[in-house]
Amino acid sequence: MRELRIRDCVRGRGAVVAVLLGWSVLEAGQTFLFGFALAHALDQGFLRGRQGTGLWWLALAAAAVPVGAYGTARVFRGIADLVEPLRDRLVRRVVRGGLAGAVRAAARGGGQPADSAVVSRLTHQVEIARDSLGGIVMVLRSFAFTAAGVVAGMITLAPVLLLVVLPPLAVGTALFALALRPLARRQRRFLAADEAVAEECGALAGGLRDITACGAQQPMAERADTRIAAALRASRALATWGVARTGALAVAGQLPIVLLLVATPWLLSSHRITPGALLGAFAYLTQSLQPALQALLHTLATSGTRLTVVLTHLTSTPPPPPESTVPEPAGPPAAVGSGPARGFLAASVPLPGGGAPGEPAGPPLPDGVRGGRSTAPAPKGVVLDLRGVTFAYGVGAEPVVRELDLAVGGGEHLAVVGPSGVGKSTLAGLIAGLLVPSAGVVRRAGAVALVPQEAYVFRGTVGENIGYLRAHTTPALVTAAAAAVGAAGLVDALGGPDAQVDPAALSTGERQLLALARTYLAPAGVVVLDEATCHLDPAAEAFAERAFADRPATTLVVIAHRISSARRADRTLVLDGADTTCGPHADLLAGSPLYRDLAAAWAAATTGP
Amino acid sequence: MAVVVETGRQDAGRVVGITVLGLLSAAVALALPYALGHALDLLLRGAAAGWWVAACGGLIAAQTATGAGEDLLAGLTTARSAARIRRRTVRHMLAAGPRAAGKGTGDLVTRVVGNASDAAATPAAAAALPAALAAPVGGIVALGLTDVWLAVAFLAGAPLLALLVHRFARASADSVIGYQNAQGRIATLLVEALGGARTIAAAGTEERENARILAPLPELGTQGRRMWRVQGRATAQAAVLVPLLQLTVLAVGGIRLSVGALSVGDLLAASRYVLLATGIGVLVGQLGAVVKGRAAATRVDEVLAVPVPAHGTRQLPRHGPGALELRAVTAVRGADTVLDRLDLTVPGGSCVAVVGRSGAGKSVLAALAGRLADPDGGTVLLDDCPLPELTAAELRDAVGYAFERPALLGDTVGDAIAFGPRPLPFEHVTRGARAAEADGFVRLLPDGYATARSRAPFSGGEIQRLGLARAFARPGRLLVLDDATSSLDTVTEVRVARALFHDHAHRTRLLTTHRAATAARADLVAWLDAGRIRALAPHDVLWADADYRALFGDAADA
Repeated sequence: MRELRIRDCVRGRGAVVAVLLGWSVLEAGQTFLFGFALAHALDQGFLRGRQGTGLWWLALAAAAVPVGAYGTARVFRGIADLVEPLRDRLVRRVVRGGLAGAVRAAARGGGQPADSAVVSRLTHQVEIARDSLGGIVMVLRSFAFTAAGVVAGMITLAPVLLLVVLPPLAVGTALFALALRPLARRQRRFLAADEAVAEECGALAGGLRDITACGAQQPMAERADTRIAAALRASRALATWGVARTGALAVAGQLPIVLLLVATPWLLSSHRITPGALLGAFAYLTQSLQPALQALLHTLATSGTRLTVVLTHLTSTPPPPPESTVPEPAGPPAAVGSGPARGFLAASVPLPGGGAPGEPAGPPLPDGVRGGRSTAPAPKGVVLDLRGVTFAYGVGAEPVVRELDLAVGGGEHLAVVGPSGVGKSTLAGLIAGLLVPSAGVVRRAGAVALVPQEAYVFRGTVGENIGYLRAHTTPALVTAAAAAVGAAGLVDALGGPDAQVDPAALSTGERQLLALARTYLAPAGVVVLDEATCHLDPAAEAFAERAFADRPATTLVVIAHRISSARRADRTLVLDGADTTCGPHADLLAGSPLYRDLAAAWAAATTGP
Repeated sequence: MAVVVETGRQDAGRVVGITVLGLLSAAVALALPYALGHALDLLLRGAAAGWWVAACGGLIAAQTATGAGEDLLAGLTTARSAARIRRRTVRHMLAAGPRAAGKGTGDLVTRVVGNASDAAATPAAAAALPAALAAPVGGIVALGLTDVWLAVAFLAGAPLLALLVHRFARASADSVIGYQNAQGRIATLLVEALGGARTIAAAGTEERENARILAPLPELGTQGRRMWRVQGRATAQAAVLVPLLQLTVLAVGGIRLSVGALSVGDLLAASRYVLLATGIGVLVGQLGAVVKGRAAATRVDEVLAVPVPAHGTRQLPRHGPGALELRAVTAVRGADTVLDRLDLTVPGGSCVAVVGRSGAGKSVLAALAGRLADPDGGTVLLDDCPLPELTAAELRDAVGYAFERPALLGDTVGDAIAFGPRPLPFEHVTRGARAAEADGFVRLLPDGYATARSRAPFSGGEIQRLGLARAFARPGRLLVLDDATSSLDTVTEVRVARALFHDHAHRTRLLTTHRAATAARADLVAWLDAGRIRALAPHDVLWADADYRALFGDAADA
């Protein structure tokens, strides 16, 4: 998606432009008639004492006024045909770009994207583009057709008038065209400087408590001063360049009036012009040309720049997704097929080697995972196999996951604990295929469903939300899935599978319940709960985790928010940088100091000291 | 309005200049039609009109010059006022501190950014008012002086036509509402989907979501086209007014011409006076700007009226232990007395956890302890010195704060941690970050500590740890942690606690918390209830009390 420019807004829309110009002819006709009728009213009517003829001519001009206005009204429809498709394009880009950016960031485990920025783009900036383009087309067209009407009128009255009018008009417009670029540059700088001030003030106002607490008033005031001073310079420069506009307007709009006066004796003496025609010519200059010129200069200098800036803003921001971050998913769950997780083991990738699945037995700190590279062969029946997996968020960044080996057997229940930022969500993303390891291999036997912490519930029915990951659902399936994860009461309270859901009216815990029910119904054999139950109370969390552990042919990986999740798991992976260990609860208590700390903190909190 | 009056007074010369230039410009605009008409009449009669033609040229040049001068002066004056008002508001806001954000941050930003710039435009807009009034009034008078029937025709025609136009201008509001509703639906769906981005990423349903969000787009287009149609009608109606008025006046003028009461030149002048007279719309616009500026200025004045806390001149004793004492402290928030003559002594070097129900006033207490707010009664002392008697610098050097939701400021992540009155050595920054368990994830960023903050979207827990790092990076005898570890997972919390209880053991620590585990580690727990300290004792002593245990609700949530 390349950047949109102003000229792209009209390209390929010849038919629309033609209709627009067609209706504009009526406006040109009105302009033409005003001076023409005035001249004849005088020459043939009032100056000869024939009031009736004079009034008749003026009535003709008056009749042209509503006709011209009708043309103006129709021109707006043409503008709609030009502007609305652009608006559609921009809205599509903002939505697609915004969502793509958020999805990419989320896949990488980044924080929440700035909603307000996207909404401002959608509602505010798109509207600026829409209004500016409409305004520009309007005045450009209006100027062109007014000028055409004036020229036609002068040719009819006395072609020699053009000699007086056209040269200064051309010079003035050329002057303005020359000034337009520097003017636009200054306008752009002004907008940018003003935005910088607004941003700084926003940060200041939002951080007052912290600024006070840190005693940083002075440096912050100086920062704000710098930006305010820059904005002052920018607006001064803009105001100064505004003089160029006035100058151009004087040359193009006012100079012809003086020239016409100077030329009058010659025009009259050579009988090239009548008194009425002279009055008509003055009317053309002052009533028609000058206002159209003024509107043109003003609109081009302000809206033109604004439109360019906004178009650049709107269409250049989200860069196309780099290839490396495009996940290579284990097949979108919806496409995998019917029936919850039936037969997914049959489709498993052949894995080398043999050995027991991760049954909690053997040496104190055994199998699977190790900070260092393990050469242990992957056990049989393994559905998830990570071999020497390394992942870093940037070329220069330190890896978040380093040479991790992990094998999870079919039907196993694994918990993952560790300090936040240690890479738990990254691991979830690697398992789900959202992230591609920088080194090593991740093998999955079947589809993986990942349930993130921030549950997604959208405006729609309960059934649509719960059946989101499945091709076909029935109300009975929806109800059963809800009951399995402990969301039956919630679904009832909402009004059953066909009831509409308002996401904003649900608590975060309720949203998590719906997301869990959705995943229960998904055709995926591996379920990764990435702190997906953190807003549920411990009993509800235990119920939901047990539901997935008991789900037929399901391998469960729980990224634990609370240490209690580890107690329920067959094995627990303790991620702690180089000290990564994996084993059942009892072994970890004996062998992992970090796990001991955790368990102790947990015990202290539950039972008191 | 005070702020506008003040800036207007500082720019008095310019403001007078704008008025004078505006009036000059209006006078020239009124003189020009007469000169044009007179010159035309002379020329039509074949008389010498050189001087009058020259006068027309001169008047046009003067009109351009005064117009340009007025615009330039107004632009420069407004720019200067805007800068002045913003500087002043920002400084006042910084001096007043959190008190300034009484009505919410968003409201404050609107006042400092939008309202300040509207207010700044007021002196120039007000200065242009006399000219905006003089031109149309002068136009009508000049019309009457040219021929009284012309003025009559104008004054009779104007209200009739204006009424006609006004009736059509009203119809537009409802199409705008339809458009905004469709836009709002798209925005809502988009925001929902953005919140569920990780689910969408995992399920690979991005395309489906795009289609769902964009479903109201055709409706938006329909409403949008309706808007343009309505606007087109309104514009067309308005475009009828001025030409028809002109033609009416010209018709009357033509009849007067045919009876010899007017000349061709008079008719030319009259057609221009009609244009000037219809400029009454400009006056309405200018008045609107002044009224808007006045309202904006009132809102800026309210910010400037927020009291600034006074600071004393005292320094703290050199090696004081950092003993904190609250004596009969009362705090009122709205209609509620949150703290009611509360007494609390935190021995120097100890760690006291403040617990209590939500809304019991824990955060208010934390804010009072380091003078982020002043109590409504009573005194807060640090090492026996009342906080208001300390210099501002001494106070901020002595007290460090970490918050539940810290606002991070500064360009880079490193700047955000080093944030304070003076630059901080880099080792202090990394030391603070290590203690707060932030060093690890900061180093994983593309440019480490030099990563621009805008390029690093942090989670709530990460932001909290950067806030802690900021507090740990600077020395000071008192450290106040207001629920500053609430978003940390159990493991990180354990590690941060280790830093807090071992590495910073020499500092006095006051921390508010919801977690039993945190309370258990503190030397003493201050149990806040009904605006007083209900008990001050170690956690294991208090644990025997069922009411105390109930504070922590579901204890497994630690």
